[in-house]
Amino acid sequence: MQRSVPRPAVSSIDRQEQLAYLSGLLPAVLLLMVLTLAPAIYLFVVSLTPGTPTIPGSLTDFSDPTQNYVGALQDQQFLDSVWVQIKLSVSTVIAQVLLGLGVALLLHRRSRFLQALRTVFLIPMVLPPIVAALIWKILYTPDISPLHRLLAALGAPVSSLITNADTALWAIAFADTWEWFPFTMLIILAALQVVPDEPIEAAKVDGAGPLQLFWYVILPFIRPAIVVAALFRLIDSIKAFPLIYVLTSGGPGTATQVTNYYAFTQAFNYAYWGYASAIAVMLTAGVFVLSWVIGRRQGASAYGR
Amino acid sequence: MAGEQLGPALPFELQPEPSSWRATVAAALTNAALLLALAFVLFPIVWLVQISLRPDNDALGYQLLFRPTLDHYRALFESQFLRSFLNSVISSGLSTFVALVVGTPAAYVMCRWRFRARGAIAMWILSTRMAPQIAFTIPFFLAFRQIGLLDTVWGLSIIYLTFNLALVIWMMQSFFESVPISLEEAARIDGCGMWSAFLRITLPLTAPGMAATAVLCFIFSWNDFFYALILTRTNAMTAPVAIINFMQYEGWEWGKMAAGGTLVMLPVIVFTVLVRKWLVSGMIAGSVKD
Repeated sequence: MQRSVPRPAVSSIDRQEQLAYLSGLLPAVLLLMVLTLAPAIYLFVVSLTPGTPTIPGSLTDFSDPTQNYVGALQDQQFLDSVWVQIKLSVSTVIAQVLLGLGVALLLHRRSRFLQALRTVFLIPMVLPPIVAALIWKILYTPDISPLHRLLAALGAPVSSLITNADTALWAIAFADTWEWFPFTMLIILAALQVVPDEPIEAAKVDGAGPLQLFWYVILPFIRPAIVVAALFRLIDSIKAFPLIYVLTSGGPGTATQVTNYYAFTQAFNYAYWGYASAIAVMLTAGVFVLSWVIGRRQGASAYGR
Repeated sequence: MAGEQLGPALPFELQPEPSSWRATVAAALTNAALLLALAFVLFPIVWLVQISLRPDNDALGYQLLFRPTLDHYRALFESQFLRSFLNSVISSGLSTFVALVVGTPAAYVMCRWRFRARGAIAMWILSTRMAPQIAFTIPFFLAFRQIGLLDTVWGLSIIYLTFNLALVIWMMQSFFESVPISLEEAARIDGCGMWSAFLRITLPLTAPGMAATAVLCFIFSWNDFFYALILTRTNAMTAPVAIINFMQYEGWEWGKMAAGGTLVMLPVIVFTVLVRKWLVSGMIAGSVKD
């Protein structure tokens, strides 16, 4: 990031050619700087201030730059939100990997009908997240939910899951799994397609049953893909917002208040911009550490060869 | 959905040998599991659509059979929703257009020119994909407040560029890589400059890729809720935010909300069918080779 002015690697490229390349690259690089680098720096600067609109000049008050960070570590609500986040992230990643793997195995057969079905299975993931949230709001609201009504008709009525502090987080995790298991399914399907035939044939000749075949032959081949899919879902689970906003607004109490949601309320309900920025900086740092792990597992990206 | 449609389990058989009763049972169980998974995925969506078609006197759906009505859709088109829908189209379209115009040449340069900062720029693009939205929202909110871009479609288009530009640079690079350099070199020998060879030879060859990239940019902007919730109020409110406002300010108008949700979801489903091949590389843009 520090070297933003591109310099030629090969001296044989003549000057004119370099200028032509630069004229294509610079607009995008400048725009990216204004759009992403400048805000990132500004976010960090604001996180060092007590910035809030009710105290004039507070956005430029750097007298105690670490107060927000120290404050966060002593803020029980913030610490709780991290714990809620961990519960939500771990449970949804595990559920999505298992469900994605299961459906991928079911779909992994050569058939044009199943090819067409795959696209249907993608729908939850591409749906506007707010529509997914609306759908689950309907399914979780006893007045209108077909599930609640069915259970009531069967003589086992269930009260609303999203207004109960013990179940709200798991209701969100369930909806999140519905929305995002297609992602893990798709990556695992792609990996299944490049599993070579020979070891499978060899194992069958040796008398391996279906379960042994899966566990000892297929799973080792697709494990890297599963890990990458899981890490991607882990990173994106930190950004979960529409489901929580629509289903529970972080409640009941703070039962579903993940860190991202907590930062949102601090910034835009209470206008504690400085404090919210500090939380956002910590979230971003956490995300980058996870991304770095992905980068290492992948060896290198398409560029860094 | 009978068993024969599924065809033989060619790549590797998790079922026992065929032609035994066990094979029949295994195939039946597989198909049953698939049907169950399909119902799990589709039922919630179908339920949303049917609520949007229910008449008002049976909004909660006590009758299984009902005469579908477009009343809720009609009501939407007479309300402010139409404007929100247009705001969504304009902000997503504008952002997609600018991202393509600025990002495509840059992707070409990234693909053809091995300069020193190339790896750093690539890492930077990847990190914008990973960063949580809240990290961009706070500084943009503060800046927009100062320069009067809050609650405008311009402001929204600008913040959508934060992910669209990176997406274009990432996606288009892989399409340019598939164009042989020899074609461009032939044009250069005939006297074309670098960018005119790009415009005449390379760009037309990657037109389908560009279309797919545009569709992905549009879907990602269209699906945005977080930025629009915070950066707009009434003027530039997008359709996803408008749906939620039915929930908060107008009581529980399930029919209207369901109709709005259905309308917002339809274009996305159509586009998904068109670009399903590139969906994953778009979503994981930058970090995994596919």
